[in-house]
Amino acid sequence: MQRTERSRGGLDLSLLYKVFGAILFVYLFLGFMVLPCLNTLTSIFTARDAAGNVDPFAVIRFFFAGNMPSFVINSLKLAVCLVITVNVVGISIVLLTEYFDIKGSKILRLGYMTTLIYSGVALVTGYQFLYDSNGMLTQWLAGMFPGMNRQWFSGFSAVLFTMTFACTSNHALFLRNAIRGIDYNTVEAARNMGAKPFKVLFRVVMPTLLPTLFSLTVMTFITGLCAMSAPTLLGYNSINPEIVRLAGSSVADEAFPQARAALLSIILALFTIALLTMLNHYERKGHYLSVSKTKAKLVKQRIQSPVARVLAHIYAYVLFVIYMTPVVMIVLFAFQNWPAVRAKSLNVSDWTLINFFGTQDYSYTTSRGKQRIRKGVISGVFSNADTVGGIRLSFVLSALAAALACVIVVVAVNYIFKHKDKKRAAVVEACLLFPWLLPTILICYSFRTFFNGEVWYVLGKNLYYRENVRFLIVMAYTVVKLPFALRMVKAAFYAIDGELEDAARNLGASSLVTFLRVKLPIVLPSVLAVFALNFNALFTEYDMSATFHSSYGKSYAMVIQSMTAEEGRDGYNMNGSGRRCASTVFIMLVSGLILYLVYGVGARDLGERLERRKKRREFFARITGRRPAGN
Amino acid sequence: MADMRAKQPKGVKLDHISKIYKDPKTGKDFYAVHDVDLTIEPGTFVTLLGPSGCGKTTTLRMIAGFESPDEGEIYLGGEPINALTPNKRDTAMVFQSYALFPHYNVFDNVAYGLRLRKVSKDEIQKRVTEILKLVELSGMEQRMTNQLSGGQQQRVALARALVVEPGVLLFDEPLSNLDAKLRVQMRTEIRRIQQQLGITAVYVTHDQSEAMAISDNIILMKKGVIAQMGSPTEIYYHPNSEFVADFIGECNFLKGTVSAVRSGEADVRVNGVDLTVVTDKAVKVGDEGEIVLRPEAIVLDDKGMLPCKVELSCFMGSYQNYHVRVGDTLVKITDNCPINKKVFDVGESVCISFDKRCAHLL
Repeated sequence: MQRTERSRGGLDLSLLYKVFGAILFVYLFLGFMVLPCLNTLTSIFTARDAAGNVDPFAVIRFFFAGNMPSFVINSLKLAVCLVITVNVVGISIVLLTEYFDIKGSKILRLGYMTTLIYSGVALVTGYQFLYDSNGMLTQWLAGMFPGMNRQWFSGFSAVLFTMTFACTSNHALFLRNAIRGIDYNTVEAARNMGAKPFKVLFRVVMPTLLPTLFSLTVMTFITGLCAMSAPTLLGYNSINPEIVRLAGSSVADEAFPQARAALLSIILALFTIALLTMLNHYERKGHYLSVSKTKAKLVKQRIQSPVARVLAHIYAYVLFVIYMTPVVMIVLFAFQNWPAVRAKSLNVSDWTLINFFGTQDYSYTTSRGKQRIRKGVISGVFSNADTVGGIRLSFVLSALAAALACVIVVVAVNYIFKHKDKKRAAVVEACLLFPWLLPTILICYSFRTFFNGEVWYVLGKNLYYRENVRFLIVMAYTVVKLPFALRMVKAAFYAIDGELEDAARNLGASSLVTFLRVKLPIVLPSVLAVFALNFNALFTEYDMSATFHSSYGKSYAMVIQSMTAEEGRDGYNMNGSGRRCASTVFIMLVSGLILYLVYGVGARDLGERLERRKKRREFFARITGRRPAGN
Repeated sequence: MADMRAKQPKGVKLDHISKIYKDPKTGKDFYAVHDVDLTIEPGTFVTLLGPSGCGKTTTLRMIAGFESPDEGEIYLGGEPINALTPNKRDTAMVFQSYALFPHYNVFDNVAYGLRLRKVSKDEIQKRVTEILKLVELSGMEQRMTNQLSGGQQQRVALARALVVEPGVLLFDEPLSNLDAKLRVQMRTEIRRIQQQLGITAVYVTHDQSEAMAISDNIILMKKGVIAQMGSPTEIYYHPNSEFVADFIGECNFLKGTVSAVRSGEADVRVNGVDLTVVTDKAVKVGDEGEIVLRPEAIVLDDKGMLPCKVELSCFMGSYQNYHVRVGDTLVKITDNCPINKKVFDVGESVCISFDKRCAHLL
């Protein structure tokens, strides 16, 4: 055999690229995934006692002797209860909008899907706006029952309530798709054989949904276990807020806080790994796939009993009200001035845009009767330096991390597909999926502690120091988003006809040209969708921001959180609540736009896009009186 | 269109090439292609024919450079090409799925290879226009590929391969996604264009009628090795094995014993009757053998060589289909244009006869 043509020229550039790529990949994987997490693990067993001696089991003894198990138990309690409530509500909303014939189901669906554009810290603060001690509903109830406890919306029940409605997004997406995939002929066959409608539901429809429900249950359990924003803002002692608290504590205040935080994060990781292993094992058994060649579209079922029908409608609209009330109130109050927001009373004459744009002075009378003015303390989202700073920082960091994750994953997936039958491809894929096994908090905590000192392989810098923390946040964001990006981009690469690459090569294109001019343009819509979804998730992300919180890394979510705390105190930040509402509206607009672009515009096939382009051209041609351009 | 002849059609030589794969289930190596040795003359149309898994596509992909042979050498125009990557080989391929780039329109798809070769814009415009005219797609330059019918997509794929003026044109089952009528139309088109341009073409198919209709030569493969090579007529009338005979069209096999041998002929005793057949095999009296008979080569009559009984008589429009019993053997007969002939019913005792040149001894 002869040597390949490329190697005849002496210096083989492709070999250089490969070596450089391999070194970079190993550097990133070891440096930003393995070593920080390993450091967290070892820190548990290297804690020093009062005499300064290493005591490998000190933290574990402390764990059982102190109140640490209560955090684990609280998290487990929340996770178990959340699985029940989220499944009940999630299955309900899908059946009510997709399976049963309920009047106004399109409006109901819109209401149930608001959590897609309104989640995380924005959602929790929205619920607080309605239910906390100064909330609308609380004020209304207190007016009727003066003796009631105004702090009723806090602790476990408040967290469970909020998270129940916050975590049904996955049901709204995936269970809906699963139920739409049912072959209606199977329902008709069961009816034809004498089954009653509810028997059909429980014996024919629900069993086919079980694999999806199982996956959703496991994901909900993990969400409950790793809950952060709701327990923090509503006051519930679960694992994640405690880890963040301990991470910021010092040995002067309590015994080995960092090692305890590490232990809690490792416990969380063990639970996550066990659950994901179980899920993976279950998924390998396969889903029930319809073998029908001519699948019939599901026809909505009319509930025969009038009583049951009325009850179903009442239930559907009660859920709708629960979903929609915070959203509607937030939107309405975003356009009210601060006295109206504070009094929680809507007034058309108090309509204003001050929560979005511009500043106003605040005049008040001191206890000595003097009139004072505070300049510009009433300010809008886009006029308040703190808020704009948070938005700008979150925008830049999220965009950078989302782009970095996409670049890494696209290059890696291209490599994986080129070497799909080889072990090294499987290794690369496993490395990129590694963060999926670990809770976000473990990764962030590990970053924070490991890089809070000089680390040789990052040029001896402390990455948790001053502005460096921003780089650390970008790296953490990127690492956390890699598994999702990998799964999505891999699916897009699967969709490429293998013969396209062969065709390009056969016509004379090199590997690089084939990748850039054939494969990349084809997967680009999917890659952009992944970028947009990751950006959307990171832009208002709370859990990681809370872990890295510092004056140089104050993200938008942390700014929103601060608005709940500093409202109106001593005349500063008078319209904190109004600006919080306006921020939520802004977030909903951004998320709504992104989801529209991804699932609306992005989901259209080429034919549909061309058809729309043609119509657009014809429309403009009619307006301008010119002939439509192109074809 | 006179100037649109292939600049220099090239011949292909496969010098004892083999390709080894690992069986994913057993982990053992096996030969997907074993010791294939053949020469394709410049300007000819050669078809690699065979059932699924016989190694025909692997052979084609080795010529294109998508697979590399584990043994042997491939020559294109006399030059060894094993070491060349696919983009450096003077071949162009038409794929089964057409592999049209979905983000390019017809013009850009066809122009893709020319742009990679840094051909000037004017020249690209000229050559793409000419080739689209040749494949009868003029005026569709701006259409996206999903706005074309299956046949039009096929023509774009063909134009894209032809426009770069390759030394050898490769086809990987290019008609399998078309309906039966269009398939016949397109294969005629492909043959017309190949002959017009005088280009060397290697064509992979599992459809024997397609191979017969389109090829100068057929290479029939089985389990990675060449079962027989030759012109369509040779392979059809003189198959060298039961596999070849059975794969190319329908066939009857009458077992018997050689009773006499003459120059280029032999008598074979079947069911007590001596039947004369042409053979070039070295046979001797007493040898066991099989007479290969095509259904359309047999004549059914009241008087003939071999008595038999009709078990099925079925009118099929252009022909009458018979199944007759000769001893233990069921013989299929196709009697064309039955309206002019006597039609036999089930249960009738009749005789079969055939021209000795249409029979072949295995």
